[in-house]
Order: sequence, then structure tokens, then C-alpha cells
Amino acid sequence: MNHVTFSPVSSQFNIQKVEAKPLTPSEAQKSFSSFLKDSIEKVNETQIQSDTLTEKLALGQEVDLHEVMIASQKASVTMQLTLEIRNKAVEAYQEMMRMQV
Amino acid sequence: MSIFHSMNTTASALTAQRLRMDIVSSNMANADTTRAKLVDGEWVPYRRKTVVMEPKESQFSSLLQVAMNTSRDQEVGSGVKVTNILEDETPYELVYDPEHPDANEEGYVQMPNVDPLREMVDLMSATRSYEANVTVLNASKNMLMKALEIGK
Repeated sequence: MNHVTFSPVSSQFNIQKVEAKPLTPSEAQKSFSSFLKDSIEKVNETQIQSDTLTEKLALGQEVDLHEVMIASQKASVTMQLTLEIRNKAVEAYQEMMRMQV
Repeated sequence: MSIFHSMNTTASALTAQRLRMDIVSSNMANADTTRAKLVDGEWVPYRRKTVVMEPKESQFSSLLQVAMNTSRDQEVGSGVKVTNILEDETPYELVYDPEHPDANEEGYVQMPNVDPLREMVDLMSATRSYEANVTVLNASKNMLMKALEIGK
């Protein structure tokens, strides 16, 4: 689960480079959608890890109780973060829809 | 450094304290064991076991990142690990009990060098450390949850 890192967005998109050579809207959308997809997959990984650990505990296999609890807490925190991001995105969309034409 | 760095550190401490607890329970359970293992055809009593803890060494990747100045993992540290389980070499306790099956000609029995009082203190220490680390973990989670409330 160590690989769930949240580096600043600037390093992901490399803002300086974008200024030097502007992306076409389709390219920008593609890079953003792949970034979003990767992030959601990482969140899903934490959920799966929590599930497997819970299953192991239920099956009586050798796994520490605190490992299971911590995995579920990590899954919960990452899921909350995802929800907050989704809420912000929907909010932005609704703000756009309220715009006068 | 991942946002879960502190959680991973605490998890290693919890694992270490659990192992300490396991060792204490083993010592307590064997406080009267006179036949732990057979050495040269003679039974030897149980020896008290102790744990050796060391700070967890970082993985190669994080050491490389520190060398490249892209991460501070090494400076922060990444937890604790139990590197060894050693036996206490203090002499066995001699108890006069001629009826005991393992008594020698003079009627003395070698009993394990386990002191139940000392084990109780170790037990309390392990429990308290575990509790303290759970508190750290909860504080760490609360911090993340508070961060998610920014801008609400």
C-alpha cells in the first residue's frame, strides 16, 4: 500500500512544459482521464487489500488483527478522499451549468 | 513519502509489541517447565526469552531517493522491527523438592529463570506501548480526515 502517493499535480502535468508547447484539448483530456483512472485504480487496490486481509482473518489464517484494522482504515481514508474529489468535480460541473448563455 | 507513512510506522510498532506480548505469554506459560529440551540425554529447564528491537532499515529504493534528495524517508525513519529473540543466560533457580521427578540426588530441582513479577511488568509495558501506538494511529487518521474537511 506504500505506492498510494499524492504528489503535487504540477509534477504530474509539468506545467512549464505545457506553457512551452500547448496541448490540444483532446490531448489534455486524455492525460487527465488516464491520471484519474490510475488514481481510482489505486484506491480500488486499497479496497481489495482490505478485503483480502479481512477474508484471511475470517478464515483464521495467520494475520494480525491490527493489520486488518489499519488496512480498512487506509481504504476508508482513500475512499473519503475520492468522494471529496468527486464532490468538487460535480460542484464545478453544476457551476458551469448555472452559467448564463 | 506516502500519506500513510506514519500509519505504516505505527503498524510496525504494533506488530513488534504483539510479538513482545507473545514472548511474555510463552515465558509465563513455561514458568514451571523443567523439561524444555534434551541436552546430552538430560532434560534442561526452560530459559526466559527476550526480544531485541531495532529501528527498521529503509529499503534500497528509499535510500536511493534520499541520496537523490527526492525523499526524506530516511530522516523520518520507518518504524521498528524485532531482529532477534534471545535467551536469558542468568542461572536457573534451585528449589528443594525431593518428590519432583527431575530432582537431583540432593533433592534440588532446577527451575526456569522466569520471574513472574518481571513478566507482569513486561506485559504491562507491552500493553501500554500498544495502546500508545493505537493513539498515534488514531491521531494520524484524524489529521487526514481533518485535512479532507479543508474548504468545506
